[in-house]
Amino acid sequence: MDTLKEDLKKHIIEELNLEDLQVSDIDDDALLFSTEGIGLDSIDALELIVLMEKYYGIQVTNPDEGKVAFLSINTMADYIEKRKA
Amino acid sequence: MYITAASTISHQPTFKNAGFSKSIEPLQNNSELIIPNFKEYIDAGLLRRMSKILRMSVTAAKDCLKQAAIDQPGAIIVGTGLGCLQDTEKFLNNFLTIEGLLPPTSFIQSTHNTIAGQISLSIGNHGYNMTHTQNTLSFEYALIDAGLLLGEGNDNIIVGAADEYIELLSIIGEHLHVKSEVNLTSGASFFLVSKEQSVKSLARIKDIETVGLVEDIEESIENFLTNNTLQKSEIDMVLYSDFYDIKDSGQVADFIQRFDVSSEVLNYTNLIGVYPSNSAFAIHYAVDRIQDNNKIKTVLIINRLNKINLGLTLIESLEA
Repeated sequence: MDTLKEDLKKHIIEELNLEDLQVSDIDDDALLFSTEGIGLDSIDALELIVLMEKYYGIQVTNPDEGKVAFLSINTMADYIEKRKA
Repeated sequence: MYITAASTISHQPTFKNAGFSKSIEPLQNNSELIIPNFKEYIDAGLLRRMSKILRMSVTAAKDCLKQAAIDQPGAIIVGTGLGCLQDTEKFLNNFLTIEGLLPPTSFIQSTHNTIAGQISLSIGNHGYNMTHTQNTLSFEYALIDAGLLLGEGNDNIIVGAADEYIELLSIIGEHLHVKSEVNLTSGASFFLVSKEQSVKSLARIKDIETVGLVEDIEESIENFLTNNTLQKSEIDMVLYSDFYDIKDSGQVADFIQRFDVSSEVLNYTNLIGVYPSNSAFAIHYAVDRIQDNNKIKTVLIINRLNKINLGLTLIESLEA
């Protein structure tokens, strides 16, 4: 699970061009779409959907599922684990 | 139309460097873009998505606003020959290599009007926002648009031009047998233009004309000068671009030889390199020279980068 979270952070930093962030800067429970967390926006949400398919083969087709899944690194990792189970 | 502020990011030390025209030499082949600290001008959240052309353009446009001490321009008008090449290339590569969903950012930002759009977003401007793409005359058309808007009562307009180099251009150049002496470069020049003269005015753009599919370049120049009641002998400086008159070739185009020997004549493409909208740099160069030398009162810019297109721009000092 920890490896999955590390990988997720690396992919997010790379795909979203978060130039100033390191893996260690992102807390597992930090809110991805809050300015108090990572501060992502709606275009980033689309990038995350693409990222999920590209790296994990998971298609996020239900917007309600995405809202919950993309809250934090923890929720993203849980979502990937559940979908792969 | 009066130029109230000017800013250029290029392969020369032009950015925030008034008087640069005195010191710059023709570009060497291995020159690189001189990158300012973009973070001083662009929010980190916007910056991370921006390609080179967007970073250059937003920074130069914001620098103009800062120079002019204006928060919101009346309009934003941009000319670009090839647009956002970096994002276009990225999107097309994604399109060819990725199966399934495509990342949206490079697609969204691949269109030419992203430049003017990002300037607008970065300052929260809701005014007229226009992009002109007409090959090597893109900037001239943007300037004409700015002049028309000023005539309609709009004021303090951001008008500029930008193009970016990507490696693929060199590869295409090799296939087209373009001479290796030709420097393919990136550049962005932006201006704040105003209807009335003010204490911040730097120079005046007296006239702009474009000629597509030009047949007789000398006749076109003669007509342009006649329409402005000028003789060739009254032109203090001629800035021209001619793709075929590359540096050290010793060749000077016929249309340049007819100017009075007292006129200073300079091929600005040798200074700034080749990109479709490099005539915008010529205006900044002219303004910088006028600021530095009060004997230069009238400058004619002849844009003949693409030999089927002709762009003519007349710049005057405030004293002319």
